[in-house]
Amino acid sequence: MNEPLNPFLKILVVIILLAVVAPLVVPLLMSISDTPYIVFPPQGFTLKWYGEVLANPDARGSFFFSLQLAGIVTALSLLLGIPCAAGLTRFRVRGQEAVLGLILSPLIVPLIVTGVALLQLFAMLGSRATLLQLVIGHMVVCLPYVIRSVSASFLLVNRDLEQAAAVLGAPPHLVARRVLWPQIRPGIIAGGVFCFIVSFDDYPISMWLADGEHFPIPLFLYTVIERSFDPSIAAIASLMIFFALLLVLVIEKVLGISLARMTN
Amino acid sequence: MTGLSGAITPAGDAEPLLSRLWRAATDGNRTGYLLIAPTVLFLAVWFLWPVLTMVHLSVRAHSVDGVMVEGFTLQNYARLFATDLYFRILLRTARIALLTSLVAAILAYPLAIAIARGTPSMARLVTITILAPLLVNVVIRSYGWQTILNKTGALAWVLKGLGVSNPPVLLYTEWAVLIACVHVYLPFMVMPLAGAIGRIDRAVEEAARVAGATRPAMFARITLPLSLPGLAVGVSLVFSLSAAAYVTPQILGGNFSPLLGTLIEQQILTLNDWPFGAAISTVLIAMVLGANLIFLRIVSRRFSRWTAGA
Repeated sequence: MNEPLNPFLKILVVIILLAVVAPLVVPLLMSISDTPYIVFPPQGFTLKWYGEVLANPDARGSFFFSLQLAGIVTALSLLLGIPCAAGLTRFRVRGQEAVLGLILSPLIVPLIVTGVALLQLFAMLGSRATLLQLVIGHMVVCLPYVIRSVSASFLLVNRDLEQAAAVLGAPPHLVARRVLWPQIRPGIIAGGVFCFIVSFDDYPISMWLADGEHFPIPLFLYTVIERSFDPSIAAIASLMIFFALLLVLVIEKVLGISLARMTN
Repeated sequence: MTGLSGAITPAGDAEPLLSRLWRAATDGNRTGYLLIAPTVLFLAVWFLWPVLTMVHLSVRAHSVDGVMVEGFTLQNYARLFATDLYFRILLRTARIALLTSLVAAILAYPLAIAIARGTPSMARLVTITILAPLLVNVVIRSYGWQTILNKTGALAWVLKGLGVSNPPVLLYTEWAVLIACVHVYLPFMVMPLAGAIGRIDRAVEEAARVAGATRPAMFARITLPLSLPGLAVGVSLVFSLSAAAYVTPQILGGNFSPLLGTLIEQQILTLNDWPFGAAISTVLIAMVLGANLIFLRIVSRRFSRWTAGA
């Protein structure tokens, strides 16, 4: 049985957790400050910075573009990743080690290098299709996560159940839908959600491939931080933090996947 | 019989077809290859090819007054290692990556122990608090530290309240980059460590306690050595991620402490010097691969010695 930690350790843990939360809480406090510059502690109370941000068409445009991009990337990554995970786990494939190495290597090569290498290739090919470039770049980074998550769920599948269903007369498509699918679904959802988040938050790939028309939200946030100094940045930061909290709730409560499982 | 059911229920038409497709997809030796081929092809074309081209570019050509000259050259690497300014950036990158791994490891142990050995509610609280920031964009997390480390920020205010008359301004220093990197990459240290600690046999801890070991002794002789595989994974992850960091050093270090990532961006987007940018990229890949090999190799060897007798 797990027992209560010793008090010294407990205090240490609380202090570290406070430091982890601090950079997410301080922007919240500063975003309501009624001053034309960032100051701690905040002075006065206003919500005008939120109004300003929400009315900003560039902020909205980038936000919705990122949602759209992450949606396309997730759909395509699942389309490639699920069959690949099935092939790797349920079939004898020669050179499996090498294939796994290739699939996981985008996680080792620094993203900023993958991004610049892609930019070079696209320039060489004379490509001007920015959206397609961004989708390809994000997919390279997202595929390893999807395949890892879906493979893990394929490996956990109890194949006796499939045999039992087949012996009892279920045709293969029924076995797939009623026996296999429920077992791999959590892995697919977890992989898809993580893929979406990785794409939505990506900076080091997008910074090379984006243009003014296709400007993902992380790049937009960065330009705002570089350029302006009033609390409207803090308001944007707060909105993004609320958005992340909402995601945590949706993932844990609605989809029923624990964060720990998803990120492992 | 199939024809009959097909005639009665229109949906039945799909049944034999689906079955046939499913059987075709699950029988035979070629199926596995067919299933993985699209992904392998995709990554070969859009990952392997560009990265190898990049590495090739770094030794293939160099520019003289902006004109590309063909031939093999190590000049781009020589320039990186021989120019004081660039070499300092290289050293700083290695230093920040090492320090980030070290500090993250120290902070991660209490958290990992709390996750692996604490009460369920404690473990859940720590896990969520550690992982939730991963969903917040790294630009925002870095900006959060800016609001704390600023001249008029939260830290200065707290220090003033504590009676420090002239609080140091950390923003735009290496310290700020280090603090934020530790924060951003801490989860990647905590989770593998918690996994490793969770796998330690409790009987070992129990035996040590019965034999009268103090808590520090138990940590030094049991928890620490037996968690080394998790630590190795954590360190190689955090080192790789912080060596390649771009956004965090850019927001917190400004122009005063750039890392290799910033140098790549400057050389390519500002100066348009592709061969040199390619050389820096290659060095960055080598650094990350080297670190992975060293950390994982050393620890796996030591660990196998420890467990060999078991």
